[in-house]
Parts: sequence; structure tokens; C-alpha cells
Amino acid sequence: MPSTRRNEADLSARPGAHEAHAARVAQRRRRDAVGCVVPVLGFASLLSLVMALSPDRPDGPRYEGAGDPTPRNGGTFVFHHESNVRSLDPQVAYDELSTMAIRLVFDGLLDYDHEGQLVPSLAMAVPEPREEGKVFRFRLRRGVRFHALPGVPEGRELTAEDVRFTMERLLRKETGSPGAGFYEAIEGAVAFREGEAAAIAGLRVLDRYTVEFRLTEPDQSFLYVMAMPFAYPVARETFAHFGSEADQHPAGTGPFVFEGWERGVRLTFRRNERYWRDHVGPDRMVYLENIQRHLAGLRFMNGQIDAVHRQTLDHWALFSEAERWANTRLTFPRASIWGVLMNHEMPPFDDVHFRRAVSFAIDREGWAQARGHLIQPTGQPLPPAITGYDPELPSRQFYDLDRAKEEMALAGYPDGYPREIEYWSSDGDIARVYAELLQQDLARIGVRIRIRQVSFAVFLEQTGKPKTVELLMGGWNIDYPDPSSFLEPLFHSKNHRPANSSNRAHYQSAELDDLLDRARQETNRERRAAMYREASEFLAKDVAWAFAYLPLTQEVWQPYVMNYRPHPIWAEDYRDVWLDLPKRRVARSLLGAGTTTPAAFLPLARLRGTR
Amino acid sequence: MSAYIARRLMSAFLVLMAVITLVFILMTQIGDPAAATLGNRANEDTVREFNARYGLDRPLGAQFLGYLGVIACQRPSSPVYDDDPATNGYCGLLQGDFGESFLHNAPVADVILRRLPRTLLLGALALLFELAIGLGFGVFAALRRNRWQDTSIMSTAYLGQSLPSYVTGPIFLSYAAFLFGLFPVGGYGSTPLEHLQHAVLPAFTLAILGASTYARVTRSEMLDALQSDYVRTAKAKGLGRSRVLSHALRNALLPVVTLAGLSLRLLVGGAIITEQIYGWPGMGKLAVESIVNVDAPTVMGVVFFVALAVQLGNLLADLAVAALDPRVRLAG
Repeated sequence: MPSTRRNEADLSARPGAHEAHAARVAQRRRRDAVGCVVPVLGFASLLSLVMALSPDRPDGPRYEGAGDPTPRNGGTFVFHHESNVRSLDPQVAYDELSTMAIRLVFDGLLDYDHEGQLVPSLAMAVPEPREEGKVFRFRLRRGVRFHALPGVPEGRELTAEDVRFTMERLLRKETGSPGAGFYEAIEGAVAFREGEAAAIAGLRVLDRYTVEFRLTEPDQSFLYVMAMPFAYPVARETFAHFGSEADQHPAGTGPFVFEGWERGVRLTFRRNERYWRDHVGPDRMVYLENIQRHLAGLRFMNGQIDAVHRQTLDHWALFSEAERWANTRLTFPRASIWGVLMNHEMPPFDDVHFRRAVSFAIDREGWAQARGHLIQPTGQPLPPAITGYDPELPSRQFYDLDRAKEEMALAGYPDGYPREIEYWSSDGDIARVYAELLQQDLARIGVRIRIRQVSFAVFLEQTGKPKTVELLMGGWNIDYPDPSSFLEPLFHSKNHRPANSSNRAHYQSAELDDLLDRARQETNRERRAAMYREASEFLAKDVAWAFAYLPLTQEVWQPYVMNYRPHPIWAEDYRDVWLDLPKRRVARSLLGAGTTTPAAFLPLARLRGTR
Repeated sequence: MSAYIARRLMSAFLVLMAVITLVFILMTQIGDPAAATLGNRANEDTVREFNARYGLDRPLGAQFLGYLGVIACQRPSSPVYDDDPATNGYCGLLQGDFGESFLHNAPVADVILRRLPRTLLLGALALLFELAIGLGFGVFAALRRNRWQDTSIMSTAYLGQSLPSYVTGPIFLSYAAFLFGLFPVGGYGSTPLEHLQHAVLPAFTLAILGASTYARVTRSEMLDALQSDYVRTAKAKGLGRSRVLSHALRNALLPVVTLAGLSLRLLVGGAIITEQIYGWPGMGKLAVESIVNVDAPTVMGVVFFVALAVQLGNLLADLAVAALDPRVRLAG
């Protein structure tokens, strides 16, 4: 600034001015130093104060129950998911989140018990197959009432006509149901769907409480398909009353009545006091949407959420190690399968020796170790608890580096494969971890891969096309607890298509197709199980995939949540819980003994884990 | 003045068109919406129906013109739209229609309008914090120029500008919300009072960066003003300290108004990272979800709203400056 310069010039003219100026500069430097030190000291002391004052992270539940084992009504149960509920329309919704809500409001004709066995629900019994397994007759329970909601007449009883309405709605194109394809086995379903018939030929209402389905050919998975939420009966009056907004006013027959939905935030339900079977439960259910797992874990520890089903890595460790959560947590494999898919139409994977080499090279135990045992190694196409799974399957795949090298030699590449292979996976840090594990494993047998991570949408699009992606990581979740739900979409050649193949290894085998087709029609339970086991054996031996692991889930719930057990089929199925109230605050819950983690090293929101 | 506004609106319109075109092109490149929405179980039939329902089976050019509303759109079977004869088969931006979200199964305008109040609340609170903290400390620092208070505030402001919200957010969440229980642990709440309680921490997290910027700008502007001739004159006339300050402040605030106009983006666009950390169901979170799920109409709708807010914010700021400062003449 000119003025300063002038001042300095003036100063320099006077005797002793230099010293005075130097003193002033020194003073300013001191001041600047103080100005920098003060905030640093301030922050440091604030931080240490906060650390000193802050309670330790709780190492157990903050509340416990009253200790009264009598099942009873009352209270509010709060649960959550980390994304949006898309729809409350059972015929349209096809995601885990929506199903969690739909199963509170609706019942199916059939349901599953905790052993994964089909049990009757709105139907009086699980129908026996008639006419060599082509005809199924459902007898409905009498006196089942729909929820009395706007548009639905008071005391409206469920009848066979509601089943017909539901099935027609499900198959109509305008409904846009992603599940319609499951029901094409019903005679006349395709014609009805295409608008060529006014009714579904194979669906007959025999009387007020009886409905019969006739299939085009015997299909034993039909009962499982009928237990999917797509077929849950809906009250037709809501569609007349609400029109296009009916999916936001669900009226079913289930244990909870829909109350309200603030989209993206919360759904609320109240207990159905006129439910058709004996049932106790909370007076209200609150389903919070969009609570990511790091928030859910914190709220759960605070006692504000009653159950958590997905955790960040350090919350997982905390819950699995803390003694005080031991009675209300469970870790189990989800009914899904993951593995490395090799494109059978593209060399070198058209050679079974090469595929075997890859499979033998995968250190599945090492993967589990690297992932902190959040996965369980496997070497066959079906997860446990599904018919056809055999822990002693002779051809089950496993890690054996020597045999991998032998197979490489048999494939004609004793010194390794010359070309770099492109490996596709969807995005995310966890997918990256698997990609790098596979890269290391395959490097040991001289196979080099280049990792290519793309968005999930691109991944699905590209891997669904033939002869496009050589090598990829893929998985499949259960639709219904039948081996056909895994083996047909993943390995049957009819699911190898010019686009959107679910058979992403592009595996084709006439022998397997024949076996799967016969198994689907087989009515004898033992023979059917043996056939699927044979298919498993065939697939593992032929290395249709290099099967790798089953993801594990850890669910934790509060000690006052009673009668909850993770369900083998339905994720987070809370329809039968009751609350042991009044809940009591646990003394010293904040200053739990034995907690060694200083509060300062709390999981500072692992964004990685929030996916 | 009106000519100026007209010209600005015209340029805003062009910018919006350019943004929409760009986003449309980008969205066609990031994956197949049918695959993303229907997942890995979709078969040919469901994919074909999906594409027909949303008009995705048409050439890209036709899709774009249909989106704009220049040519008739295609909605053969969507239950959300029972064809309204008034629109005459046109259902694009020109008709005020943002299309239908693949992911939410609902009109994009509905999806956005549901999120907008939440984002506005968060943004307004954040802006309030920014201004209150930034202006207060900025003026204070200017008055204590070169003393330890000034250097302390300014070095804190540097720190605030360099701390990203994914560092401060989780710290606040872990301490203030979880361990000390002063605030709710993320989420949105159910009553207006609860919404406000839930908004405090995310708004504060958002405000740190802005407050630091405002503090620094306010300080330097205030210093300039305090050294200017009119302040010296005022002092020489013997005006009281507070009168002098108010004269200086009014002039110092002009650039801050421009900055605040830019902050309108925050009000509407939300804050992608902060909303994720606190689980705030606003526009930022919507944008992320829609991009991940290749929900092109929603992404375009969100971008449209945000671009509009930026344009309007700038315009309003310029008009406000012109109103506050008689020296500024907006050339037509």
C-alpha cells in the first residue's frame, strides 16, 4: 500500500526509526504466532475435554425387558432399512424393502415356517397335486376379513373371487408386474396377458371359497410361486376407490393395518384387532426408510431402533464380540450364492480343464479370512437349507493349487495363459476386494486378469449379452426356496438369451436342461431331491461357475423384542414379534465395563460401509 | 432494467437447455435403465414392456423431443397417467411435465416436490448459520484487525474451509448426537419441531464451509470500508462509533449479497454428502439414488431444478445489489 511505504520512508528519516520498525515487526510476528497458537490450543483443549467427558461406547443393550414371558399386545416396534420402499403393491413390488412392509399388511395363500417348509396361510391346507401335478385346488379359510380402509366395505370377507381378481391383475400388462413371468405356467395365462382371452382359462372359481389352477404341464415349483408376494390377495375396492394411487393405500388381510406413508421417511402400521388367527404384537409398527447402516447402528445402541440387520464393519465386530448381545443376535448365511463366472462361449473358458484350473486356484478360505469372516466358503451351486445341497457332494469345488497347475497343463498352458483376461465386476470397494483376491489367486497359476469395475446397471447390461464379458463375479438371491429358483435362471439354456440373460456364464448343456425339466415336473419328493442333487453334482464337476461363497448376515435385536427369529426366506420378517414392556434402562449402560475403544476412535461414519 | 432482466432470463433459458441436453446425453451413456430398475431377474418380455411403457424403445432423438414436449410422448399403459385430453398427447417440459420416475413409479414432479421442502428447510437453516456466524465473526475480526482475536478467527476460518463435511459430519454425529445425546442421530423426524431438531446438526455441518468463506470476505470488505474516505469523513464529523459502523457495514455487505445468491444452489440442490451422512431424505440423496439407478427423468428433473435455482439466485443477487448500491446500473 502506498501509504505504508510513505510512512516507512518518513520513519527512516528519523534517527532510531529502524529499531522501532524492527520492534513493531517483531511484535506483529508475535501476535500472528499467538493468533495461530490460540485456535490450535483452543481446539486441542476442546477436543481433549470432549474426549474426557464423553461416555464410552455402550457395549450392550441400553434397555432390557420386564422379564414377563406372557405374550401380550402393546408398544411400538421400530425397524428400518437403508433405502426407499418402492411400492406397497404386492403385485408390483419386487425388492426386499417393499416385501418387509407388504408382509405386515398382506397374507398369502401359502407361507413358510421357520424351517423353510410350505405351510397354509389363507388357504386351509397346502394343496395336493392332482392329475399328475397339473392341477392345484386351494380351499380358502372362512371369515377372513380385509382391513376396513377407505373404499373397502366394513367386514368385507376374502373369497375366491379376490384370488381371481389378484391373479388377473398380476398378469395384466397395465399392472407392469415384474413377476408375471413366474405364473405363465397357468393354462391360458399367456393368452390373457396378450389380450387374446378375457379370462385365464386355467383359473376356475369352484365356489365362494375354492379356486383351482390348471397348469400347461406338471410343475412342482408352482406352489412356491403361489407363496410369493406377487400372489398375495388384494382388495379390489381400493383400486376402484384410489385409482392410480392405490399402491399407497394397501388393504390386505394381514396382522397389521396400513396407517400412513411419508415417502422416503417412514411407514406406520397399527395392529389388526380383527386378525383371523390368534396373534399378539405391538400396537404400532414404525418402518423408517433411508436410515443408513452407520446411523442405524448408533440408534440401535441408543435403544431407538429395535432391530438391525446390516451393519458397518466395526458395528458388526462390536455386536458379534460383545457378550451382552449374545442372546439376541444371530449370524447365518443368506439363501444366495456367489461365484466366479466364466463365459462358456469364449476361449479359454470353453475348455473344462481351464475352468477347473480357475476353480482349484480360488483360495476360498483365504477369501473368508480377508473379508473378516463375513462370508462362508462354498463349492457347489446351492446354498444350505435348499433341497439338493449336500455338504459331502463328491464334486464340490475347493482350493488345491497343485491340481490347479495340473489342470492348466491339461488345458495346454503349463506356463500360464499368454493373454490378459478382462474381469468385470460392479462398482464398490467390496467388489474391488474380491477382484484383487481373485487376481492374486489366478496369478499363481499364470493367469493374468485386468479388473474392470462398472456401475451395476452397465454390469447387468453387458454381462447379459452373449460373447461380451469373459470373466465376472456374480451372485443370485433366492426367489422361493426351491432348487429350481437357482438352477434354472443361472444354468438352463432357455435363460441364455441375446440380451438380459440371467444365465450370465452363458452355460448350455442339453443334458442339464433335460435333468432340470424332468425335476421340475417330478411329483415324488425324494426322487425330485435326488435329481437336483445330481444337477448340483453335474454343475460343480463341469465348473459351470467357480462357486465361491455365501454371504453371511448378522441380525441383532433388543432384549425386550420377543418371539423374533430371523426367517430363512423372508428378510427381516417382524410380523410375529411382541414387546416385553415396560422396558427398563440398564444401569451403567453408557459406561460398560471392559470397553477399551476410546471414544475418539469411534467409527467416524465409515462411508464405505454404508452402501 | 426490464430489458436487463429479459436478457438474463433468456440466457438462463439457454443455460437450462444446454444443461438438460448434456444430462440427457450423459444419462444415456451410464447404463440400461431397464436393467438397473428391473434388476438381474428381468426377462426379455419385462424389459420390452418397461421400454415401451417409458417410451425408451424410440430413437434417442425422439425420446429427447418427447421429453421436451415438442413431439407427442408415449405412455401407452402407465396407470399414473390416465391420458388427459387437455395435454393432447404431449407431456414434456413445455407442458410443465417432468416425466415419470422409473424408480419411484410416480411423476418426477411429485417425487421432487416431496423432497423439496425438506431440502429447503436444511438449506435455509444452513444459510442462516452461515450468515450469522460468518458475518458476526467477519465484522468482529475486522474491528480487531491484526490483534490475536483477528488472527485466531482467520486461522479458524482457514481450517473451516479446508475441513470437508465427511470429516466434520461423522465427528458431530458420533459426539454431539450419539455419545452426548444432544441431537437426534440422523433422520428426519415426524413433526415440524422434530424436523428442526434433526436439521440442526446437518445444517451446521453444511454451514462450516460457507461461514468460513463469509467471515473472510466480510473481514476484508469491512477493512476496505473502514479505511475509505467516507468513513474517515464520518469519523471527522464526530459521528458515533455505531453510526460509523453501520455506514461501513452497508457497503461491505454488497459482495456478501452476491455470495449469498450463489448459496441458493445449496438451498435447492441440497448437499449430497451431508445428506448421506445424516440420512436426510432430501434432494441430494435423491440425486445420488437416481444416478445409481439410472433413473434419467428424475436426474434430469433434479438437475433442472438446481440449475434453475442457480440462475435465479444469481439474478436475484444482482438485482439486490443494484437495489442496495445506487452506483450499480444494470445495463439493458
